[in-house]
Amino acid sequence: MTCDIVLVGVGGQGVLTIGELLLHAAFDAGAPASLTPTKGMAQRGGFVKVELRLGREGVGPRIGERSADLVVGTERSEALKGIRYAKPDGTFVLFDHVWAPTGVMLGSDAYPTLAQVTEAIRAAAGRLIVLEPADLPAVDGRTVRPNVYVLGAILGISSLRESLGPETVERVLANRWPAASKANVAAFRAGLRSVP
Amino acid sequence: MTRRILTGNQAVALGSLSAGVKVVTGYPGTPSTGCLTHLLAMDLPERHVEWSTNEKVAFEIAAGAAWAGHRAMCTTKMSGVNVAYDALISIAYSGTNGGLVIYVADDPGVSAGMAEQDSRGFARMSHLPMLEPATPAETYDLVRTAFELSEAVGSPVFLRLTTAVSLSHAVVEVDEPIPPREIEPILEKDVARYTKAGAAICQQQHRDLLERLERAGAWVYERKLNQLELAGEPGGLGIVASGAVRAYLPEVFQEFSTDAVSVLRAVTTIPFPWEETKRLLEHCGTVLVLEELEPYVERAVHVAAQRLGFDGPIVGKLDGTLSPIGEYGEAAVRRGLEVAMSSANAAGAEPSETVQQFDKLAAPRPITVCAGCPHRGTYLAIEAAIEKAGYAKDDVMVTGDIGCTILGMNPPFDLLWNEVSMGSSVGLAQGYVHAGLKTPVIATIGDSTFFHGGIPGLINAIQHRVPLTLVVMDNGWTAMTGMQVNPGTDEAFQERGRRIDLERAIRGLGVERLFVVDPYDLTETTNTLAECLKHSADVSVVLARRECAIQAARRGVRHGTTTVDPETCVLCKQCLRVTGCPALSLGESSIRIDSSLCNGCGLCVSFCPTVAIVNSPGTPRELTEEEPAAAGSSDTSKEKVE
Repeated sequence: MTCDIVLVGVGGQGVLTIGELLLHAAFDAGAPASLTPTKGMAQRGGFVKVELRLGREGVGPRIGERSADLVVGTERSEALKGIRYAKPDGTFVLFDHVWAPTGVMLGSDAYPTLAQVTEAIRAAAGRLIVLEPADLPAVDGRTVRPNVYVLGAILGISSLRESLGPETVERVLANRWPAASKANVAAFRAGLRSVP
Repeated sequence: MTRRILTGNQAVALGSLSAGVKVVTGYPGTPSTGCLTHLLAMDLPERHVEWSTNEKVAFEIAAGAAWAGHRAMCTTKMSGVNVAYDALISIAYSGTNGGLVIYVADDPGVSAGMAEQDSRGFARMSHLPMLEPATPAETYDLVRTAFELSEAVGSPVFLRLTTAVSLSHAVVEVDEPIPPREIEPILEKDVARYTKAGAAICQQQHRDLLERLERAGAWVYERKLNQLELAGEPGGLGIVASGAVRAYLPEVFQEFSTDAVSVLRAVTTIPFPWEETKRLLEHCGTVLVLEELEPYVERAVHVAAQRLGFDGPIVGKLDGTLSPIGEYGEAAVRRGLEVAMSSANAAGAEPSETVQQFDKLAAPRPITVCAGCPHRGTYLAIEAAIEKAGYAKDDVMVTGDIGCTILGMNPPFDLLWNEVSMGSSVGLAQGYVHAGLKTPVIATIGDSTFFHGGIPGLINAIQHRVPLTLVVMDNGWTAMTGMQVNPGTDEAFQERGRRIDLERAIRGLGVERLFVVDPYDLTETTNTLAECLKHSADVSVVLARRECAIQAARRGVRHGTTTVDPETCVLCKQCLRVTGCPALSLGESSIRIDSSLCNGCGLCVSFCPTVAIVNSPGTPRELTEEEPAAAGSSDTSKEKVE
């Protein structure tokens, strides 16, 4: 099974962490994998892209346009930059978080509406799954990590659920943050269930 | 052998350990930084690893160790090769005893800024062999090959990665490190080899240099580093693929009937694989050359074709099929194959389907300095000082330099006019003064950049009494590349190093008008700068000192608690407009301050017209080791590319 995944979002959302967790899950499952972060000079608040290629040995690190099986956008506006990678029969997961840049807050720049973004995605990708930040569950009164919820949704995409296995990813999660295991498992499973 | 997930950078690091490297030096620069960072995080008592002042110094140190018989490596991004080249060409003439490897990371696509410089040009110019791996796993193996080749022919050897290879993570089979060889350092007194005294010596060294590259070609050929696979009937398509683009062949081949396509997978451009190319040309009727950036391989293929009387099409950049700009992925391979196969079939190629771009719908997201960054205070003070001294912002040249300090070019500051290379802000500013500008000239530079290349420019300005204001923004770290130690970093964070105090250093150069300010103190910084702008007889230096907010936050440093009174805030957004601080955002009825990002620098306070923002400057303190830091998890901290 091969799967090319492009993740786009804003620095600080834990996009790279999603990629790293999947990479380690693939490693534990014995599957070849390549992960390439593109942060440029992006610190917190800048555009981040992660390319993850699962299931192919010695593969070039970049994913071509119109060839990603799965594109994940974790911020509404930045999600637009992931559309070019979507395969016509691929899946696009949009976590509709709005992180307005300063220019938007000051009223000098426009920010896309959800309808604009979903329309653009639908023109490019076969299947669209929209996740609402409002649906994030809370554990012990605290909202769970959005990136772990999105990770759950990624595993909910059928091909990955079979090839990587949710248990592998949960194990990787537990190893990474042993103290936050309860909240992370809850976030992950809620994400998993969010995919029809 | 163990299987590990490594980046290309880490593969270089561990490859060098498995080759018994003794000395590794470098200067931080994306995308190469991660190699030395990885080594510095390890306990390596038998080896010497350091961030050096600049790439030239770094390379000279590595060369000295290699001349003394040890294996040594220097790491740099492509821009650093330019800095090191003056030393490099001389050392290339002399050759080496111990293996000497220069790891350079090129950046096609410019994901990390500067230029699409193809460092193969430097290898060609200096007649040094260069190995070009396509994946982290290949990188690991080729590091050892590079050291072996270096010692086999007595030549420094380049190892060239590109951004995607340096930064991508993949599974690599790793061996145990081996210790550096136990030898007495070689002391060889041979002026004919190690000096450049006279034409006879230099020309003999030039002869030796060319002969070493010749031998490197034979060594590479015997090892079959460049792999030739001839396929199908004679007269078909042949591909020469060089560097990182090799990794994309298999997936594109799946889409074409490529059984009859011959391929030369080139790991070296220098030395050029003449013999393999000759055999490919003898077998094929059409040749496609795939290489990023400059058409070095392609030109050599044309030379080989001319010698052989090959008259088939050569598809690449020179015929306009592919571009010398940008990174190559499967799209470039597909485009090349489409054109080459259609010329092989004598039919026209359809251009690839273009993809609709939605990027332009996205809101602009220019990067700015972090919450609490001391540079914010410096930029705001420079702007205020220009006004206070009676000038308009658009009439005052403020030169910029490399590193975080260049972020002053972005909104809301829009302050800096240019960015050239490390230290160039100081020289450029002098040129503007001599050109006869009627308005003051300001140069800005960061601490690490000043140590790297700014000091000679300042010495020049002092000697020639050039009336300009140099602002050295000293945050104590080489921050942009991910927080490396530099000569000015607090001694508590220098492993064995000594701190060089910039104030003493600048005063020691003979600067009479030196002012040390705290960029969190806007009033003092503005007044000092404004005075400097009025002074037109000599160079003034303003040393704006305050530790990088991210590094301080990692130790729990908070300068106060900044809060907004929602009753008083009228949401005029002035704080946001002026500072652009990432800790500020719009709440329902008032500005909100993200307390996990805000370090209480207080810069926003003075811009609030309704006095709704208040900073209670609690005692600045650092957390004890038992207390957890509030901010600074790996996701929220400033971790630029490695």
